[in-house]
Amino acid sequence: MKRNIIEIKNLYKIYGDGEEVNVTALNNVSLNIKEGEFIAIMGSSGSGKSTLMNILGFLDLPTSGTYILDNTEASSMGHDEMAEIRNKKIGFVFQGFNLLSRTSALENVELPLFYRGHVSSHEMREKAAELLGLVGLSGREHHHPNKLSGGQQQRVAIARALVNDPSIILADEPTGNLDTVNTEDVMNMFSRLNKELGITIILVTHEPDVAEFTDRKIIFRDGEIVEDSPVRKKKKKS
Amino acid sequence: MNLRNAFITALRALSRNKMRSALTSIGIIIGISSVIIMVGIGNSARIAVKKRIYTAGANAITIYDSQKPLTMRNLEDIKRMFTQIQYITPQIYKSKLLVKYKKREIVSRIYGVNNDFFKLKDWDVIYGRYFSDLDIASGNRVVVIGETVRTEIFGYVNPVGEIIQIDSIPFKVIGSLTELGQAFSGRDFDNLLVIPYTTAQVRIIGEKKFDEIITSTFSTEEVDSTTTSIRDYLRIKHSIPPGKPDDFRMETSKDKLKQADYIANVLRILLAFIASISLIVGGIGIMNIMLVSVSERTREIGIRMAIGAKRKDILTQFLIESITLSSAGGIIGITLGLLIYFLIVFFVNWPFLFSPLWVLISFLFASSVGIFFGYYPAKKASQLKPIDALRFE
Ligand SMILES: Nc1ncnc2c1ncn2[C@@H]1O[C@H](COP(=O)(O)OP(=O)(O)O)[C@@H](O)[C@H]1O
Ligand SMILES: [Mg+2]
Repeated sequence: MKRNIIEIKNLYKIYGDGEEVNVTALNNVSLNIKEGEFIAIMGSSGSGKSTLMNILGFLDLPTSGTYILDNTEASSMGHDEMAEIRNKKIGFVFQGFNLLSRTSALENVELPLFYRGHVSSHEMREKAAELLGLVGLSGREHHHPNKLSGGQQQRVAIARALVNDPSIILADEPTGNLDTVNTEDVMNMFSRLNKELGITIILVTHEPDVAEFTDRKIIFRDGEIVEDSPVRKKKKKS
Repeated sequence: MNLRNAFITALRALSRNKMRSALTSIGIIIGISSVIIMVGIGNSARIAVKKRIYTAGANAITIYDSQKPLTMRNLEDIKRMFTQIQYITPQIYKSKLLVKYKKREIVSRIYGVNNDFFKLKDWDVIYGRYFSDLDIASGNRVVVIGETVRTEIFGYVNPVGEIIQIDSIPFKVIGSLTELGQAFSGRDFDNLLVIPYTTAQVRIIGEKKFDEIITSTFSTEEVDSTTTSIRDYLRIKHSIPPGKPDDFRMETSKDKLKQADYIANVLRILLAFIASISLIVGGIGIMNIMLVSVSERTREIGIRMAIGAKRKDILTQFLIESITLSSAGGIIGITLGLLIYFLIVFFVNWPFLFSPLWVLISFLFASSVGIFFGYYPAKKASQLKPIDALRFE
């Protein structure tokens, strides 16, 4: 039996000044995620999916409740510790790619290694080039993001998320800006990362086709989990 | 993140915005180059003035502004009484005389003196000769001309033996002086005429008196005591009772040096003040651009934080960016400043003084301007919340 990598209990996130205009984005959410799971988070717009992802990724803090990652309680951490976890344990993939502009694909992928320390520039280069190869972008190392298609940019972002060998990938609508062909590519890539490397992947999506790739589906409505079920795979023609 | 990575990151960020980086540094470039130019010129001026004062006679004592006329009798007494005196000359001075030779003319000034004058000032005659005893004794109309007078009215003609009109009085040119140079004020030291004092008394001022007596001692140590002795002598001659002030003035080259030093110091403080203001303005320029840069790059900061940049990494990156800008500005400013300073002193014929200490100070100052004015924007950047920075549009 695999251990829980993420444990969330009675999590609340309330936006606002604490007086009148409060939005309860997460309303008493409890959730366990095991190592190596591949999860889709679904739900209508504004239901709290991104809020949860940001908290899971240590980009934001909950208003109350507990979040334990790898047996460490989030609320006990300082800024530096959270930065270190973002650097070493978590890889982010965003809907809008979030690559540094006017910076080559290779340098974008190297970036997390810069903040890791103790990595020689030769090693950085090698590792980044290797990952660009893995996502099928060999030969485009020196292209800037504005010279790459959306699908290619998202693959650079995935390579960047992988460069520090994270245990979790958090992807907030990673295929939201992609066409069907690129969507399929990216999802196949996530599947492989999950199956072959055992990386825990949590992704937010609106598209049932995308959720098909995952093993577990969690549906949000108004800040609450309304459904949490295994994904029944359609039979694929081989 | 280690420092090397921080540097690479900062330099990449700067090179992504080359134009802005260059414009940001301009304030510092101007500030530092003005510091270099001003300090340099201040120091050169000091040396030049010092040299000029020494040319006016090292160990010189000048007696002037006397309410009773200074006479030949005074001069001879002083010369006889004080064996420590090396040179002594009377001086009669008049400016704005019209000098004519054939069709050419120049407005010049005249000194009526004896041959000691040349030795005292260390001025050499390059063509022709000094005054003869006969010239002095009989008040001959002979003149030694300065370099400017020679080039202006004779050109390439040998002036020796030619007759020129000084205020319509004919004088024979017997010699011409070496070039003395120019003051920074533009005053031309070479535009002058030197004639025997006897001639000046008769032909130019029409009175048997001197404006000044200039004398010098053999050694510097004797200047002060000799000054006192001459003062005592003149007070007796002028029958001034004890307690009453002198009716004449005396000045030594030391006094002039002190004055020049004083002026140079005031000048330097003033220049340093102006230069600091321009550096502060440059620093504020850096702060301004860095603040703009931080808010423009909020998303970049968010991305960096999301992939693991700590607060101090962001702080370091932006600090290094501003220090790099100001230091690069410093280096360019130093180079530019030295170049301009060199050109200026080259044209006014002053010494070029290269001071490594000042270059170092300027450089360190430029860098600290970067630290000082870059700190606030960098701090601001580092304290952004990751999620807010990432969401920033
Ligand atoms: N920074 C914020 N300040 C105030 N309200 C916010 C903020 N971020 C999100 N919200 C609100 O919280 C709710 C959940 O948002 P979000 O988690 O982004 O939803 P989803 O990603 O599911 O579309 C929404 O009502 C949204 O308006
Ligand atoms: Mg969302």
